[in-house]
Amino acid sequence: MPTEHITRRHFLGNLSRMAAAGGIALQLPWLSTLAGCARSESGYSHLTRNEGRAMRAFAAQIIPSDDGTPGAEEAGAVYFVDRALGRPLYSASLPVIRAGLADLDERAAPVHASAVFATLSNDEQITIMRRIEHTPFFATARTLVITGTFADASYGGNRNGAGWTMLGIDHQPSYAAPFGWYDARTLAAEPRTGTAA
Amino acid sequence: MTQRTYGQSDTVDFIVVGSGAAGGVLAKELSTNGFDVVVMEQGPWQQPSQFTHDELAVEREGAMLNTSSEPIQMFRETDKDPWRRNAGRALTYRRGVGGSSVHFAANYWRLRPIDFRERSVLGPISGSAFADWPITYEELEPYYTKVDWEIGVSGTPGPFDPPRSRPYPLPPMHNKSSGVLLERAARAMGLHAQVAPVAILSQPYDGRSPCKSCGHCSYYGCEFGAKSSSLVTVIPKAIATGRCEVRTESTVLRVETNAKGRATGVVYRDKLGNERRQSARAVVIAANGAETTRLLLSSASSAFPMGLANSSGNVGRHIMFNVHSGSFGRFDHPLNEYKGPVASRIIHDFYEADAKRGFYGGGGIDARFPYGPIGFAAGEFPKDLPQWGSEYKSALRDHYAHSVRFAAHITSLPVASNTITLDPDHPDRWGRAGLRLTYQDHPDDTKAKAWFRERAQELMEAAGATHVWSPPVVPTDGGVHLLGTARMGNDARDSVVDRFHRAHDVRNLFICDGSSFVTSGRGQPTMTIQALAFRAADHITQFARAHDI
Repeated sequence: MPTEHITRRHFLGNLSRMAAAGGIALQLPWLSTLAGCARSESGYSHLTRNEGRAMRAFAAQIIPSDDGTPGAEEAGAVYFVDRALGRPLYSASLPVIRAGLADLDERAAPVHASAVFATLSNDEQITIMRRIEHTPFFATARTLVITGTFADASYGGNRNGAGWTMLGIDHQPSYAAPFGWYDARTLAAEPRTGTAA
Repeated sequence: MTQRTYGQSDTVDFIVVGSGAAGGVLAKELSTNGFDVVVMEQGPWQQPSQFTHDELAVEREGAMLNTSSEPIQMFRETDKDPWRRNAGRALTYRRGVGGSSVHFAANYWRLRPIDFRERSVLGPISGSAFADWPITYEELEPYYTKVDWEIGVSGTPGPFDPPRSRPYPLPPMHNKSSGVLLERAARAMGLHAQVAPVAILSQPYDGRSPCKSCGHCSYYGCEFGAKSSSLVTVIPKAIATGRCEVRTESTVLRVETNAKGRATGVVYRDKLGNERRQSARAVVIAANGAETTRLLLSSASSAFPMGLANSSGNVGRHIMFNVHSGSFGRFDHPLNEYKGPVASRIIHDFYEADAKRGFYGGGGIDARFPYGPIGFAAGEFPKDLPQWGSEYKSALRDHYAHSVRFAAHITSLPVASNTITLDPDHPDRWGRAGLRLTYQDHPDDTKAKAWFRERAQELMEAAGATHVWSPPVVPTDGGVHLLGTARMGNDARDSVVDRFHRAHDVRNLFICDGSSFVTSGRGQPTMTIQALAFRAADHITQFARAHDI
């Protein structure tokens, strides 16, 4: 199932250009200014309650938790997305996100009476996700969810390093060799590696 | 340490524009040799303690890069195409003391004797301004060695290395799992994996502490000072001479010249935007291949209508980035490439061009995985797998700590129509014209990318990867290696500087950085940029002492 092709450089480039559109120079760690923003567990800074509910369910479909390990939900990715949409770099995406989240709920309505996306069953949500997976909303929201799952916790997501833990990263400021399975075996076999044959 | 400062009414011996890989070396050498030096640096003076591991800020948002603060760069393939916004890599570098040496990956390959005389050996190449360098490897070798010992390079020679007059000052870095796998692949294919030389300390050296294997070299600054950037090596030594001032947040607008056609100093804007002037007996430009181009073209005058030092018309021409391709692989056991320096082993069996391949081009292959979790999950993650949902997550968990890329670093041919030019429609905050890029890979560069992609994929399969994916090669639209835009040469009609980095057109103007390159080498240009800078500093010193500037 192909989605948009985002290389790192394109991602970087796009973010830079989004920043330019907002006329903002990205010189400072942006969330340092937002770090003090009050936020309660039930409230969002930029998404409405309904949008937040849909975003949270969308995030849990992108990186689920059904295998017993943390996913976007445990990482609190929705809170990253909520905060990110409030700053110039990402605010250009806000209309696309808003429309897409409303669309998710609209697509849920015919499934069950008074249903919204978040109240659908897992399979029902996946059916809707498949219908929209090639839309700009999906690509943008997916990237935001991934970013919120793995970015530093100071940005609102990746709580307790949940995203890093999920990937098998032992997140430390520095490390000692050996680093992985293959160099550990080599070190054990020949403590001093030199030029390979 | 308090640095010496100069007044604007002082006429210093040298202004060095730029404090990066080349500028830092020139500042240190010239001040050590007794000259008064003012270094003009556009960016701030960050300390290593200010560098972070914040992937979102550093890798995603490019907090260290020009493209975040000055993001609009126009691009076109040829002069027949319309300008459009460069949505790709663009001309990328860092502003700040130490320049791009702060965020580089620190791979320190020397050029080889063949690099300097490929044109003579191989003959002309259609559609390219392929030329020999005006210097030889033998002339540059003492300065490569000087780089090794002055800044601290770790390594040990490989089977294809050029002659060296002194061993590496530091033993190799630990061989990562990716290096072990590259060795395995090389053995299986009858190739040779050798130690990757890096400008990173494997042991304490010159008062600096060794690498802590934090895994944040490429794109990041080293908070431990173990990466041998100009910020922690030559710049502190320049300051310690008591003769060098690094004037930060000072953006040079133009080099001024007098009626005799000599450089008299520079006009710059300070951090508040005030226009200021600094006089000097000579000016050395080491601002990188993009900024050097901007400064020379912006310094046009009635005496130099095409731009300063540009009677040949070659300022901004022949931009080379090195081209790249490669292959990814996932292995049974964890590699944990998020730890340690970028690469610990390289393969140089394909370094030289070989007519039997049917194209010009050569390169080196290393094993690396410089991708943060966001970058991998949103970018390099294989496209043949689900991109969301349970299967996506499962594959992400299977791949992230288990994967590596065999990356090929390849020649770029110099092409006259590949140019950096001024963009008056997109000025920067100080009113300087922006930069725009006209660039199309030479057909041989495109073939080389495809050829190396196949070799990398074969190596990945030989290494025993359980899942191999090789992204398609894409046209080059920018990069961090900014080479060839003020090329060296003996003939003033087709080069910008002579073999001593003196501008052919202006006796007391010297230009030394990546712009001096005649050919591209095989990636990893910083070692050569610094060797050129040490050599240039020796010659400039001799000229100054002989009153010949």
